[in-house]
Amino acid sequence: MRRNKLNTAIVIIFIILLGLSIWGIVKNPIKLGLDLQGGTQVILKPVENEQASQENEEQQSAAAGVDSAAIDKAMLIILNRIDKLGISEPLVTKDYSNNIVIQLPGVDDPERAVDIIGKTAQLEFRILEGFDEEGNPKLGPVLLTGDKLSGASAGYDNNGQVVVQFSFNSEGAQIFEKITSENIGNQLAIVLDGEIKSAPAIRAVISSDGIIENIGSLEEAKDIALVLQTGALPVNLEIQESGFIGPTLGKDSLNQSLMAGIIGLALVVIFMIASYRGFGAITVIGLIFYVVFFWGILSALKTPLTLPGIAGAILTIGMAVDANILIFARTKEEILKGKSKQISLREGFRNALKAIIDSNITTLITAAALYRFGTGPIRGFSVTLAIGVILSMIVGLILVRAILFLIINSRAVSSGFIGVKIPQQTLKEK
Amino acid sequence: MAKPAIENQTNTDRTYRFDFIGKGKIFFIISLIIIITGIVFYFVRGFNFGIDFLGGNLMEVKFKQDVSVSEIRKVMEETGYGKSILQNTASDQYIIRTVPIDEAEKDRILDELDSKIGINRPLIQDREVAPGFSKQITKYALIAVAISLAGILIYIWIRFEVRFAISAILELMHDLMIILSIYIITYREFNITTIAVILTVLGYSVNDAIIILDRVREELRFNKRDRFFDIVNYSINKTFIRSIGTVLTTLFPIIALLILGNPTLQDFAFGLFVGILSGTYSSIFIGSPLIVAWNNKFPKYKK
Repeated sequence: MRRNKLNTAIVIIFIILLGLSIWGIVKNPIKLGLDLQGGTQVILKPVENEQASQENEEQQSAAAGVDSAAIDKAMLIILNRIDKLGISEPLVTKDYSNNIVIQLPGVDDPERAVDIIGKTAQLEFRILEGFDEEGNPKLGPVLLTGDKLSGASAGYDNNGQVVVQFSFNSEGAQIFEKITSENIGNQLAIVLDGEIKSAPAIRAVISSDGIIENIGSLEEAKDIALVLQTGALPVNLEIQESGFIGPTLGKDSLNQSLMAGIIGLALVVIFMIASYRGFGAITVIGLIFYVVFFWGILSALKTPLTLPGIAGAILTIGMAVDANILIFARTKEEILKGKSKQISLREGFRNALKAIIDSNITTLITAAALYRFGTGPIRGFSVTLAIGVILSMIVGLILVRAILFLIINSRAVSSGFIGVKIPQQTLKEK
Repeated sequence: MAKPAIENQTNTDRTYRFDFIGKGKIFFIISLIIIITGIVFYFVRGFNFGIDFLGGNLMEVKFKQDVSVSEIRKVMEETGYGKSILQNTASDQYIIRTVPIDEAEKDRILDELDSKIGINRPLIQDREVAPGFSKQITKYALIAVAISLAGILIYIWIRFEVRFAISAILELMHDLMIILSIYIITYREFNITTIAVILTVLGYSVNDAIIILDRVREELRFNKRDRFFDIVNYSINKTFIRSIGTVLTTLFPIIALLILGNPTLQDFAFGLFVGILSGTYSSIFIGSPLIVAWNNKFPKYKK
């Protein structure tokens, strides 16, 4: 009797959790990944800035050698730039090898976005010390950099040429004042990403602001102003992969995989009821809980659902009923040996438990390796796989177990219900 | 309560219907034929690596009307990219894969296609992968496979014993070889998704192997009478119905994906389909005969 109370409590708790999940799903609809809603993805590999890399050249090529604090800072700057571009819900993440992965939902022109995001925007002020024999300019040391700016904007100069106007913050202004006062008569080169934009002669002491000249178009000036406002990236970024997926392709994929999931689920339900009768029907109840919980967890985690993620979810449907199949097979065996229904069920669970746990843990080991070393979509897959494995154990070993023990002694659980002829004497025993 | 149950077990009849182990040789040969064919094809034409591995540009274009491969090929030849890979995803829709090209070249090709045939913009897909990027992916994929295998080996070693663990790993290697062979023979595109598929199949296959090993472990505890050969055979027979049930319920949704899905989903489903079949098959016909053969060579249980 006490056991029945416990089992009833378990079932009630699961029903409450089911309600919570449904509430959560309605409240936070699941987020779709780029491959399902369309958009642009760019993977950028950080490479150290020239200046820094001169000091430790060996590390230059390996992305892993780039300071991870610098990468974090770069990600923040990128996020800032995307924000200024007016793109909503961007996702900027780092993958296993410190590549920066940028996802821009709905953006269908990757080129401009990538141009702006990936621009290092290293603004430098150096004295032009003359030219070598080939006519290449010789520059003095870097005196001031773009990180001491307080603002930048696009505009026109007196001659109607496109320029970017910038102003220094107080620290920058002090330094600039010092530079200009010490170098009157010299040419000050304004260098943006290694290119000398202009080298005006210093005629007077200047402190607060300046302009960058020789810019192709107003559009370009706006882009430069935008990247200057957000600061220079502490690392250079090389494009590894850029991709755009149209919204129709994403929608098709989503619909097709949902359809496949529903049909697959229906086939599993038919199969389970046909093979395991009443036991199968209880598995179906478990499966309903499983699907709702699964969905609830995905929307609570707020990780976008990707195509491989859906495939992982669909795969786990089959695996979810595996625990039940094992238990039923073991229970039937015990009933055939002539034991009572309740003892058979208990033995069935006990005998199957080790196999269920061992087999699921090895799957979790694989999921963990996938998560640790996978790129974006593979990660999504490993997450759904792991959620599926853990959830299927919880539902199969706790909920389905509780329901079965609650009903096992009822008269309704007959030979027909189980799909095995229950020996007469054990029926009488009850 | 539990004790009498155990005593009962030793008295039950252990006759079994199918001699899975005795027929093991045939299946070894079947697997060997598939793997050797795979190796031959590997040297003949190799893997059909996707853009993830080769680098380059991929554009999926929807044309304004139905168009044939040869018409597109002709335009591509005129632009100097005649060797590009063309694959139709609908009668008016194609995936065009080229070597790595820059923006200007891409625009030139698209403009050419637009003026000769007529295309819709924006494109359906537009991807670019830097050559050499795959080196990283491959490296990490290999690490992931190695770590999974090592993890599984250690886990089975702890929970069972070392000979079971090594047999299971050999069985997984078999699955790996079969999947790779099938990808080579059918010339299916091999991409990042394929790697995810392979790892999943490893997880599934070991899952299946453990169900049988668990039964063997249980039988060995109570049954000192029968030969190891018979115990393993009996265990396979006892778990066979479960194996069929689970493989079916796992395959139902995958088959649905295979029939209903777009090319990306089909790729995914195809790998899983092959892998799960191979995983189930190998637990019964490869892994189990292996532990019996091992015991014949180095007897630990009744030979």
